[in-house]
Amino acid sequence: MSNAAAQAYLNTRVSVMSTRLFTPEFTERLAHLTLAELAEQFGLTALLDEQATTTARRRAIEQSLLQMLLIDLQILARLLPPAERAVLLAWARKYALFNLKTLIRGKLYALEQKAIRDHLFDLPATLRLPHQELFRAENVLELLRQLETSQYHQIARQAREVYEKQREPFALEAAIDQRYYSSIVRQIMGLDHHHLNALRRLMGAELDRVALLWLLRFRLTCQLSPSETYYQLVPSTRLLNRELLLRLVNFDTLERVLDALPASLNTLLAGSHDLSEVQRRMNQATHRDLHETLVRSQSGLARALAYLMLREANLQSLFIVVQGHLLQFSNTTIKTALELNDTSHSELRAAA
Amino acid sequence: MLMKHVRLLVLTEDLPQASLALAETQSFHPDTRPPTEMQLNELPGRAYRDTFSQAQSRLNKITRLLPLTATFERSAVRVVTFTELNTLNAQLGALWNDASRFEEEFRQLDDTERLIKEQLTALENFAHLNIDLSLLRNKTRFLAFHVGLVPRENLHQLEDAAQLAGYILLIYQQQTDQAQIIIVGPTENEALLAPVLAVAGFQNLPIPVELNRKPAELQQNLTEQRRVIAEQRLALHTRLNQWGEPFREQLQTAQHTLMLAEPLVTLDTALRSSGHLAHLAGWVPAPAVAQLKQRLTQSLTQPFDLASRDPLPDERKLVPTVPIKSRVLAPFALLVKQYGIPAYGEIDPTPLFAVTFLLMFGMMFGDLGHGAVIAGTAYWARHKIPDFYLFGVFAGASSMVFGLLFGSIFGYEEILPALWMSPLHDPILMLEVALVWGIIFIIVACALGIYNRLIIGDIKGAVFKRHGVINLLFYLAFLAGGYGLATTGAFGTFPSILAIVTLLMLAAFQWQHLHAPTGEKVLVVVIETLDTIIVYLSNTLSFLRVSAFSLNHVALALAIFTLAEMMGVFGHVVTLILGNIFILVLEGGIVMIQVMRLQYYEGFSRYFSGDGHAFTPLRLAK
Repeated sequence: MSNAAAQAYLNTRVSVMSTRLFTPEFTERLAHLTLAELAEQFGLTALLDEQATTTARRRAIEQSLLQMLLIDLQILARLLPPAERAVLLAWARKYALFNLKTLIRGKLYALEQKAIRDHLFDLPATLRLPHQELFRAENVLELLRQLETSQYHQIARQAREVYEKQREPFALEAAIDQRYYSSIVRQIMGLDHHHLNALRRLMGAELDRVALLWLLRFRLTCQLSPSETYYQLVPSTRLLNRELLLRLVNFDTLERVLDALPASLNTLLAGSHDLSEVQRRMNQATHRDLHETLVRSQSGLARALAYLMLREANLQSLFIVVQGHLLQFSNTTIKTALELNDTSHSELRAAA
Repeated sequence: MLMKHVRLLVLTEDLPQASLALAETQSFHPDTRPPTEMQLNELPGRAYRDTFSQAQSRLNKITRLLPLTATFERSAVRVVTFTELNTLNAQLGALWNDASRFEEEFRQLDDTERLIKEQLTALENFAHLNIDLSLLRNKTRFLAFHVGLVPRENLHQLEDAAQLAGYILLIYQQQTDQAQIIIVGPTENEALLAPVLAVAGFQNLPIPVELNRKPAELQQNLTEQRRVIAEQRLALHTRLNQWGEPFREQLQTAQHTLMLAEPLVTLDTALRSSGHLAHLAGWVPAPAVAQLKQRLTQSLTQPFDLASRDPLPDERKLVPTVPIKSRVLAPFALLVKQYGIPAYGEIDPTPLFAVTFLLMFGMMFGDLGHGAVIAGTAYWARHKIPDFYLFGVFAGASSMVFGLLFGSIFGYEEILPALWMSPLHDPILMLEVALVWGIIFIIVACALGIYNRLIIGDIKGAVFKRHGVINLLFYLAFLAGGYGLATTGAFGTFPSILAIVTLLMLAAFQWQHLHAPTGEKVLVVVIETLDTIIVYLSNTLSFLRVSAFSLNHVALALAIFTLAEMMGVFGHVVTLILGNIFILVLEGGIVMIQVMRLQYYEGFSRYFSGDGHAFTPLRLAK
């Protein structure tokens, strides 16, 4: 069977699902919708529960939105052979790692079990951490030791070593994030040529964004040394590769870093004066790449992953609006937050 | 067994007592659906459950270090209040706080031992390095050395990061997941390298001071260190036992208390309350309702209300099924369970499965000797597979009975006079027997399927759906026509009319219930109707394998005897032994699979939905 034939059903599913993605016009309208309209349009009944606290409603909505994403993930993952399914699951494992970070922070600051549980995402068995055992751990070290017996043993071991030496969550969470991206890259590199290039390109766009933002944050905001900054980064499979990162970490101002970037990134980020501006433009560029993969890629797997990443961004936008309304922020503030999260509408339209 | 839905209303403070009473009767299966009354929206058992879980976890962790070996008598059943549970949890927390230090010490000893093992490996590697190793031990004025281990997956990133700090990284040994490395660089940049080494999980590997001594001596020294660690571990065990001795009784009491608290925790998902009023619902076997009420009356001091009713039609899927309790049928029930659990009201197929399985297995593998080996082996393994050995014993016995009927023992057909006949003497008769057996099997399966639908009130389904009354009539007409064709050469008018009418009725029913464009409906109905004919024909012929395997058994034995005849005396004996083992293992296995296939596909698919769930009553832990 040809690759195209083998992926026909997956491609059809992705195409059908991608009609759910927000159009630029809809995203513009999103900020103006009331809570009742949002609840009706997206089936978010928890929004209308007047008796619940704002925090409880916010958590319920976040959980509902995640469930929407996970349903899509499960539908798409079911259609894939094991090695390809593993890529989607590796990407979605970030939610299990969010839970892990919540558990670690909870244990670190001795929070009540209920407080910790309220902040955990409800995940399917394929992604879930062994919650019950981890809950019962009485401190961070015990928790990490227990995690070492699970599928997250690699992350857990390194995290424990970092924690034992530094005893602070920042380094530990950085180690977890670094492991997360490295494991995705490893999964992708194990795929055959049908998907390899498309996924390298797709994940490369995401890794470029992550690497540049982390570099700027660690080097300029946290004032880490070049060597320590470099160690925390994950080289991209596209522009910000190992050699370039080794060079970039030596610069200590935003302007010098931007000047040393490859031409395409340099043009994109020219005139950026702060990290949030860089973040906004990089988000736009990444989303543009995701759209392009979704529309043009020959790889069904890459299209599926691109769809999930875009869907995730859409749901994040929706959550921003809901949260903004719940916290009674002005429409201007909500729009600003949306802009940071989402892509430029005109550019999105161009990509589509 | 008929079930009742019961609803219990008690005062919230009586919940622990009520849960114990319910657990003692062992007849209450919780129904986790929330009550229809919106006011009953509190979860009274949640805090109790959380505290219980933490206490149980602490006890488990402590008893992992201090195993509770002594058995204890279960004392009187009593209520464990939330306050008592909280106090126990706090006590266990304090105990675990102390016990965990021992655990940490054990882990540190393990880590130290691992490091010594690495040093031993390093020692061997140092011997091959052509440099003055004593220099590596100390910092020089300008150069700093770091010798140690790093996870292999961090190696490349660390190499680059070290290079940025002005250091060179050398790898001198790579193992499964660790690499032994040396990092060399300017002393003044130590501050830059240290945080990188920390996040990379670098583990310093001390270079033995006595490097100038003979390797054997050094090795002896490290071995000595390992011996010391073993002694320390032993001493730690002694210290741990000494520390734990005074707490053993307390831990056993805690175990008992948690056991008594467990029923309320199990009920948590089924509990709802509003203020002082708690609601609890569940399923109880009809004969046990009176006993349950009596037990609650004896146990509860405060008033309560217990209401029971029959399950509603739309609740059928929620009603648990009480399994057949029979030691003889238990192993067959395990095999039925692989397919599913009978839904409430559905006939439990286990007895029928057991009988038909044994009949088919015996007929397909009829041999007195082989059957005796199977039964004997299963009986011999009764302690290893206590829940399943009877299955082997029965299968072997059935094989032995058919062996006597066929006059077959270890493949020999001449030693034992056949009570009936050897399958090879009249293969056509064997095929006819199998065919008749298959027809009876399919008719009984259809009849059971019809009964199962009628019992749940699905009259239309019982008549018109697949394997329903109309389908059965078609099959009977098909059989009558087939018989006519074989005996008189004509299908017969009445069977033809009946077959056509029933097929048309099935097609009409499908047409009515299919929601699709006309073209698609025509296609689906034609294919489904054709499928009905093909399925019943192929299912009936499928049973020919019952006799085919009985013939195969004899033929296989003949082949082995022929091979044995070609050998000398020793070869003859060896061939016979190996041949019989071959028949037992390979043919026995295949026959087992074939019988299971007939049961699952020709039988269960007709009458057994298997979508029920088992009755698991609340009970006190043993």
